Amino acid sequence: MSIHTKTAVDSIKRSPFQAISAIFVLGLTFFVATMVAILVFATDKTLTYFETRPQIISFLKDEATPELISALQNKLSSNSRIKNVKYVSKVEALEIYKKATSDNPLLAELVSPSIFPASLEFSVTDLKLAEEVITDVKTEGIVADVGFTANIGGEKSLSDVVGRLKSISTYVRIGGITFVAILGASSFLVLLVIISMRMTTRKNEIEILSLIGATPAFIRSPIVLEAVIYSIIGVLSGWTLALILWLYASPSVISYFGQIPVIPRDPILFFFLFATILGVELLLGVIISLTGSLLAVSRSVKKAR
Amino acid sequence: MISFQNVTKNFGSINALEDITFEVKDGEFVFLTGPSGAGKSTILKLILHEILADSGKVLFDDVDLSELSVKDIPRLRQQMGIVFQDFKVLPERTVSENVEVALAVSDVPPDEWDKRVNHVLKLVGLDKRANLFPNQLSGGELQRVSLARALVINPKIILADEPTGNLDWKTAGGIMELLEKVNKEGKTIIMATHHEGIIKHAKHRTIKLDDGKIIKT
Repeated sequence: MSIHTKTAVDSIKRSPFQAISAIFVLGLTFFVATMVAILVFATDKTLTYFETRPQIISFLKDEATPELISALQNKLSSNSRIKNVKYVSKVEALEIYKKATSDNPLLAELVSPSIFPASLEFSVTDLKLAEEVITDVKTEGIVADVGFTANIGGEKSLSDVVGRLKSISTYVRIGGITFVAILGASSFLVLLVIISMRMTTRKNEIEILSLIGATPAFIRSPIVLEAVIYSIIGVLSGWTLALILWLYASPSVISYFGQIPVIPRDPILFFFLFATILGVELLLGVIISLTGSLLAVSRSVKKAR
Repeated sequence: MISFQNVTKNFGSINALEDITFEVKDGEFVFLTGPSGAGKSTILKLILHEILADSGKVLFDDVDLSELSVKDIPRLRQQMGIVFQDFKVLPERTVSENVEVALAVSDVPPDEWDKRVNHVLKLVGLDKRANLFPNQLSGGELQRVSLARALVINPKIILADEPTGNLDWKTAGGIMELLEKVNKEGKTIIMATHHEGIIKHAKHRTIKLDDGKIIKT
C-alpha cells in the first residue's frame, strides 16, 4: 500500500461517520441516477417501438387479385417513407383474431376466414409522415380502408400519439436530469464540506509536510484519494442497489409491458446496459470527487506555503 | 553555503532583523544565540523560505532565495533537514513512518526506505522504538525522531531551532552529542539556541544577536 493510500484509509478509519455520510449521499445520488438512466432507456425504447412497429394497415377489397396485391406491395416497398411492408392473408387474419380471442374460443368458432379482409401492414420511417402516407394509400383502387394501430391513451389522431410519446420522453429526461443534477450538487457540497473539515484537522500535518519539502501534489494526494474512494464506494453501492431492484422487478416489468421492450430481455444485453451505466457513473463520480477535493484543498495548501 | 547580505526583515513596525550579514561555510557548526525575540528563528525561516527578506539577499549555494519560484520551494527544503523545538512529529504515525514521510517527500524509491530508516533510527538510538507512536515517547525521544527525520534524507544542511529548548540537561546533552556526530560526518549545522551551557561546552562559532542585530560573530 502506498503512503498516500495508507494515509487516506487511516483518515477514513479515524472519522467513520463523515465517511458514511459522504458515501450515503453519493450512493443515493447514483442510485437515483441509475434509476433515471433506466427510465430514459425505457421511454426511448417505447418510443422506438411505437415508431417502428407496423402502424398502418391497408385493408384490401375482396376483389383484389394476387397480381394487383403484389403490384401494390412492390409499390409500397419502393416508397422511401414506408418500411416493413407485410401481406396478411384472410387466413392469417383469422389466426391473428383467434390468438387475440384465445381466452374465449367460442368467438373464433363463429367466424370464417372469408369475413376478414386481406391486408398490407407497414410502418412509416417517421410517424410525422403517417397522415400523408395514409391519404396516398387510400387512393389506391384495391384498398378498401386504412387503419392506424398505434393508438394509446385514447388519442384519436396520429399527431396526438407522437406528441404524447415525445412529451413523456421529454418529461422523463428533463425531470430525471434535474433531480440527478440536484442530488449531484448536494454530493459535491457534502464532499467539499467533509474534505474542508479534513483539511482543518490535518492543518498541523500539512504545515509540517510543507516545511520538510512536500510538494502541493504530495500534500493533496491522500485527500483527493480519500474523496475518490468515497465516490467509487458511493457509485458502486447506489448502482448495486438499483441493479438488485431491477433484477427483482424485471420479470414483472417485462410481463406488464408485454411486447414493448422497456428493458432488455436478453441477460447479456441487460448486464451490458448496467455495465455502461456503471462506467459512466464511475467517470462522473471521479469528476465530482476530484473537483470537490481539489477545490477544498487548494486554499489550505496555499496557506501552508 | 549560506550567505546573508545586508538582510533586513520587519514585521509591521518591529525590526526583526536589521542589516544582517554573515556566511556559513560547508561543514561548519554555527550557533545562533541571543535572547527571545533577537531574530534567531527569523534567520532560520528566511533560509527555509518561510518568509522573504524586505531587503538584502539570502543565498543558499549561491542561489538567491528571493528569486526562487513557488514550485522551487519544496526542492530547496528537501535539501535541508529541520529540527524544531516543539518536535513537529506527525502524531498519528509511528516513529518509522514519521521518518519514512521525509523519504517519500524527497522521492526516494520505497525499496530504499527500510534500509535508510533502520540506519538512521539506530544512529539516534530509537531502533527499538520504531513501531511506537509519538504519544508513547518521551520529549528526548521525540526530538530524536525529529532529528532522524532530518538526517534520513541526507541533507546538505541541518537547521535546528532550539532543539534542546524543551529538554532536560541530560537529554539535551544526548541530542548535542548526536548533532556533533553528524557534523563530524561533514554536515553543516545552524542551530538557534539560548542555552549558554551548550554553547560554552560545544565550542563552535557563535553568531550573537540582539534586537535584530548581530552583536558578535
